[in-house]
Amino acid sequence: MEYKEYGVVTFESTHHAIRGEKILENANLKFKTIPTPREITSSCGLSIRFDLDDIDKVKSTILENELAIKGLYRMSKIDSKNHIEKIN
Amino acid sequence: MKKEVDARGQACPRPVIMTKKALDEISEGIVTTIVDNEVAKENVSKLAKSLGYEYSVDKNGENEYYIHINKGQVMEETNVCVPDTFKDMTIAFSSNTMGGGSEELGKILMKSFIYTLTESTPYPSTLVFYNGGVHLTCEGSPVLDDLKKLEEEGIEILSCGTCLDFYKIKDKLSVGSVTNMYSILEKLKNPTKTVIIG
Repeated sequence: MEYKEYGVVTFESTHHAIRGEKILENANLKFKTIPTPREITSSCGLSIRFDLDDIDKVKSTILENELAIKGLYRMSKIDSKNHIEKIN
Repeated sequence: MKKEVDARGQACPRPVIMTKKALDEISEGIVTTIVDNEVAKENVSKLAKSLGYEYSVDKNGENEYYIHINKGQVMEETNVCVPDTFKDMTIAFSSNTMGGGSEELGKILMKSFIYTLTESTPYPSTLVFYNGGVHLTCEGSPVLDDLKKLEEEGIEILSCGTCLDFYKIKDKLSVGSVTNMYSILEKLKNPTKTVIIG
C-alpha cells in the first residue's frame, strides 16, 4: 500500500495562481504547480501542491499577501485513490 | 557471418548509420562495431537494443569500445517483458513551453503537464526532448524532480545531442541520456502512438 499526503491551494483564476506561485517562491516554500485535482473540480485550473508540514507558513503567506485563494485542501492518496478534505 | 565496422574517429551519428548498414547487409551473424567514445558506444548499443538484437560491449583500453551485436539471436519479444504500466508511446517535447501564446503560461502548463505524467499510468515508454525542449532535462529545469521520478519508473528519457550542444548545455544534462536524430526518428515512428508537445 502506498500512502501520500499533501496540501493543495486552489485559486480564483489562472492569474491568481501565477501570482500565488511567485509569492510562495519568494517565501522560500517548497511547492509544486499542479493541475487542480479532479476531485476538487473538473474544470481546467492550476493549483499549488505543498508539504503539509508547511501549512502554517503557507497560510500566513497567503494572508500577508492578500492572495485570492478559492480553497485549501488536504489530499490523502491511498494507492491511487484520492481523498479530499477541506482545511479552514 | 562476421562483420567488423571500424567507426573510430567518426562523428555522430555515423557510427550508428554504419552499424545499421552492416546489420542490413547480413542475414544473420555478428557485427562488431569499434568506437572511440562513450556517447557512440551508448548510441550503437541503443540501436542494437531497439532492433531487439542481443549485444555485448568490451572495453579495450581507455577509449576503445567493441560492441558485438548478434543478429541471429533476436531477443524474446522485447515487449513481453514490458510491464503493463507502460504504453508503447513516445511523447516528444519540442519546446520548454506548452503551446503558443504567453511564454509565462506556457512554462507553467509544461510543469503541470510533466507533473501529471508522473501521476497517471500507464506511463509512456519514451520521452524525447529536442530544440528548446532540452532545457527541461538540464540543470535549473523546474521539472527535474518529476523527470527523475519517471526515469526511476523505467521511462526512457532522451535529449537531442545537437541541441544540447547548440545551447551549450551539454554538461548540464541532469536526467536521461543523449541521443541523435537517428534514434529520435525511430522513437517517433516506431511506437503505436506519438504525441508532440511544444
